[in-house]
Amino acid sequence: MIEVLTNPNKFFEARMKGEESLKIPAIIVLISGIIGGIVAFFMWGIIAEMLRGTVPPEAQGFISFMPIGSAIAFVIFSLIFWVVFAAILFGISYLFKGEGKFKRTLEFVGYGYIPMIFSGIIGAVLLYNFVSTAHIPVVTDPTMIEDALEPLMKNPMRQLSYAIGILFMLWSANIWVFGLKHARNLSTKNALITVAIPVAAYILFSIYQMGVM
Amino acid sequence: MRKMLLLFLFLVLFVVGISCAYAAEEQKSSVMITGYQISPEVLMRNDIGTVTVTVKNMEPVKSINIKEARMLGRDIKVLSGSYFNIGRLGPGESLNLSFTIKAGYTDGIYYPKVLIEAEGAQSIRYRIQVKVDSTPLTIGVKNIPEDIFKGERARIEFVVGNPRQNTVTGVKIVTEEKEVIPLEVFIGALSADESKVASFNFTPQTKGAHVLNFKLEFKNGDNQHSADLSVPLDVTESKKSAELILTGLEVESMLGMNVYKITGDINNAGLEEAKSVVMKVGDTEGIEAVHPYKAYFVGLLSPDDFSSFELNVKVGENVTNVPLIIEYKDEDGNLFSKTEYVSIERRQTTSSGEMPVSMSAVLVVIAILVIGAIAYSWKKR
Repeated sequence: MIEVLTNPNKFFEARMKGEESLKIPAIIVLISGIIGGIVAFFMWGIIAEMLRGTVPPEAQGFISFMPIGSAIAFVIFSLIFWVVFAAILFGISYLFKGEGKFKRTLEFVGYGYIPMIFSGIIGAVLLYNFVSTAHIPVVTDPTMIEDALEPLMKNPMRQLSYAIGILFMLWSANIWVFGLKHARNLSTKNALITVAIPVAAYILFSIYQMGVM
Repeated sequence: MRKMLLLFLFLVLFVVGISCAYAAEEQKSSVMITGYQISPEVLMRNDIGTVTVTVKNMEPVKSINIKEARMLGRDIKVLSGSYFNIGRLGPGESLNLSFTIKAGYTDGIYYPKVLIEAEGAQSIRYRIQVKVDSTPLTIGVKNIPEDIFKGERARIEFVVGNPRQNTVTGVKIVTEEKEVIPLEVFIGALSADESKVASFNFTPQTKGAHVLNFKLEFKNGDNQHSADLSVPLDVTESKKSAELILTGLEVESMLGMNVYKITGDINNAGLEEAKSVVMKVGDTEGIEAVHPYKAYFVGLLSPDDFSSFELNVKVGENVTNVPLIIEYKDEDGNLFSKTEYVSIERRQTTSSGEMPVSMSAVLVVIAILVIGAIAYSWKKR
């Protein structure tokens, strides 16, 4: 399994000889989703704490449900996004006359989520560290939540989390290049372009969030 | 016989002469001054007053034509002129004639004359007694607290006496002192040897020596007079007043770095109650009180009692101290104000500062690891 990180070309070349199997990729995506869900739990925990002073007593239960609800939603969304992202790559590779089953693309894209697990763990640790030391402001006017979140989002810990996320996304992208090369029978160059388009969009969006939010 | 005739003639002429003289004497009618009034009864120096004399026809059946009436005075100046051709005065009728006089600059008793000339009657010369006495009203402090404290109301009582022989009117005490209420106390008429009390409330706002100036005003007749009174006072700090102090102050960031929630306890360490206690944020540059607690009403704070409070304030980037204003009233309703300062500490954990070196090192290590893994994978391709 370690080979997918260090020598993905050889790993996927070997996997092409076997049957498509989504079992391991699904577990990888699920683990990644759970870790992302933990991060979401912490983030929405902060927001819920801020909003506690703005909602009536009868709505306090909903506020308490927000963190766990967002964590569950993130896990489900991760699985859906895996399929959607694989479909996007499958669609772009179609422009380069890619060949191969979608299930194989989905399988190989799932393996690319392994660096995301490391990114999620580091991000969760950083966020936990941030939450445990940060002073959470109390918001009494719902219209001022954006103002309240601004310093939290611009916190160095949060920015570091974004930067690490981008680095591990590059690592995942590297895996997807070789995965797509074999799954869709593309040249390395075409596989690189196929992956670069959505990944570049994601990285640009992350940089925008780091700078603007 | 001739001598007898001459004697008889002399006697006849004498009797006739006597009778004629008696008849002529009987024809002179009688006019009298039956009384007079002076207003004011006793003048002060330079006062203007009026003398009203009552002229009465004493004849039972005959009317008399009053030709002229006038007043003459040497030390009392007569301002009004003479009356001419006043008219007929019926039998038993009386007439009032008024003269305006002005007192001189010396006290004493004066006797100006009234002259009445009537047709067919004897002229009358009548002396009127006019007193000039410049003794003023007296004003003195009747009651004043031994200690007067800053911010506390002190009641000052004055007694106004009239040592004069006549009644004075329109008596009032006025002042222009800003810390004294009321500014005027009206006493009204004050009879001879009568005294009345007037009181003022003095609420000093500063410590130290004060001199309160009062003016006593009154009217003697139509003449306005006044007397001044200065009351020196020493104002000190009260030993028993409420003393409000803040403890347990906490400053909590609310909205980003600009809005803070200030909480704490307000304690009354004095010996008197503090009423209507209100806490506010000082209105200075870069500091703005915001909802929901722009001000906090604490209410009554008894001695040795305390209450929690909360204030919300938005501060500028350069503000490090926030002034908190404590306002309260004593039992007399006097308003007191006190200012305390709370320092604002900006928390690094929520700031958008530069990334620390340790974080940069972590990022570099991860970057090397990832780039190394990617490079390795491409090398092995």
